[in-house]
Amino acid sequence: MTARGTPSRFLQSVLHNGVGRYVCQLKRISLIFSKKGQGSLGVRDFIEEGVVDFAKNNPGTVVYISPQSCRIPKIVAEYLNGNVKEETVTNKTSQEIVELITKLSNQSGLDIIRIRKPFHTDSPSIQGQWHPFTNRPLSIHPVGPQTK
Amino acid sequence: MAACRALVSRAVLPLHYHHVCRGVMLTHIREKKRWMKAYSLIMERKRKMEGPPPPKPRSQQPNFDYHAEVEAFSARLRESFSLELLKTAFVNVCYLRSEEERRRALGLDLETTVFNLKDNGELCVHGQQFTEAFLSDWCRGSFPSLPQEGVAAIVGHLTGSEVMCHVARNLTVEELTMSAEFPVPDETLQGTFFAVIGALEQSSGSVQARLFIRDFLVTQLRGKDLFDLWEVVDPMGLLVKELTWKGIALPEPRLIQSAGASTVLPLYFVGLYSDGKLLAQGPGETVLAAEEEAARVALRKLYGFTENRRPWDYTAPYEQLQKPSAQALTSG
Repeated sequence: MTARGTPSRFLQSVLHNGVGRYVCQLKRISLIFSKKGQGSLGVRDFIEEGVVDFAKNNPGTVVYISPQSCRIPKIVAEYLNGNVKEETVTNKTSQEIVELITKLSNQSGLDIIRIRKPFHTDSPSIQGQWHPFTNRPLSIHPVGPQTK
Repeated sequence: MAACRALVSRAVLPLHYHHVCRGVMLTHIREKKRWMKAYSLIMERKRKMEGPPPPKPRSQQPNFDYHAEVEAFSARLRESFSLELLKTAFVNVCYLRSEEERRRALGLDLETTVFNLKDNGELCVHGQQFTEAFLSDWCRGSFPSLPQEGVAAIVGHLTGSEVMCHVARNLTVEELTMSAEFPVPDETLQGTFFAVIGALEQSSGSVQARLFIRDFLVTQLRGKDLFDLWEVVDPMGLLVKELTWKGIALPEPRLIQSAGASTVLPLYFVGLYSDGKLLAQGPGETVLAAEEEAARVALRKLYGFTENRRPWDYTAPYEQLQKPSAQALTSG
């Protein structure tokens, strides 16, 4: 819809993430799939080939594999700030699932909505924010238009 | 087929039923269920009456393995904790008591079933002392002219329950905490976080613990103003005290600019001059408010806590942390 009709947020990071040390924001990823269904074929292939490498490369993320009888396989990603993201991976290939999981592990958990400004700073002004009295000659009388 | 079945049932009986065998009757149909609407309305009414269900701790939801989570916690923070110390740090006294009562209520004999979990009291005290000591040293080093009350206020803000609980919740300390109540109360969570810092100090040494506190607590000072953390009732009196202690002439307030004096939003700029030189100027709605604001601006400049100060250098190696006077000019 329009910018006013949809939610938006400012550019921010969880706990000032990169400033001190970088902490991977993905804490838990659960692969829910079915052992026999044809939609979960990609997930089953991914579990055979790629999930162990992913878990080794991301020691801070706990990977849970839960085979259930379900029609649609899902990947549930939980982030440090409490947000939970569910993605359905029906009929995806193993390669696509690898890319999806890499994308999820690189995200912070903040909402994917319109970011109002692509920048943020804690010290917006070095020499002092301009206001109409900057660089004006000092006067004790009330101000009027400057006579040049 | 369905229509004639419906005709038959309505003519003969209100419900379609079919005998499975003598004494067993099934009332299931594959068409639209007549009872569904009434059932859904009743369940909706019940849900509205009871309100939302109470939150359940993550450990009681599916897909949670405590040992794996604790290892991931340690790996995520890039610290090597000793796992027993870390697990002890998460156990609170209230949890031990509630567990003992539960076992007693279940009738388990307390002598045969050994319950050897230690609580985190010592680690908590130890962690708190270490954190407060390091933060005071860091403050004094990066803001050398800040007086003792200011340092205490900043350290109190950083170790207070708001900031500590915010950091703990975003590092999954709350999920791993073992406590009697859920949601975990703020003081318990704060104590658990101190215990985690204590466990880190005992596992990896004080260097790593100091880096940890710097990376997670000191960063929370970004974007904060000094007088939000430290309540100063009389900034002018404090400024006069500071200047007399330094031997500089006392400040004289002078009106610099004024605008809109007879309107609803007047604006006055008052400058503080000591010995003819401008110390600071501040705006305000009345002349007195402007003078107070000018005193606050002067104090911020004196203590080096201005908005445009150079940010703390987090990439500096650890030796600089031990000699914080070397970074005195660059204050975070």
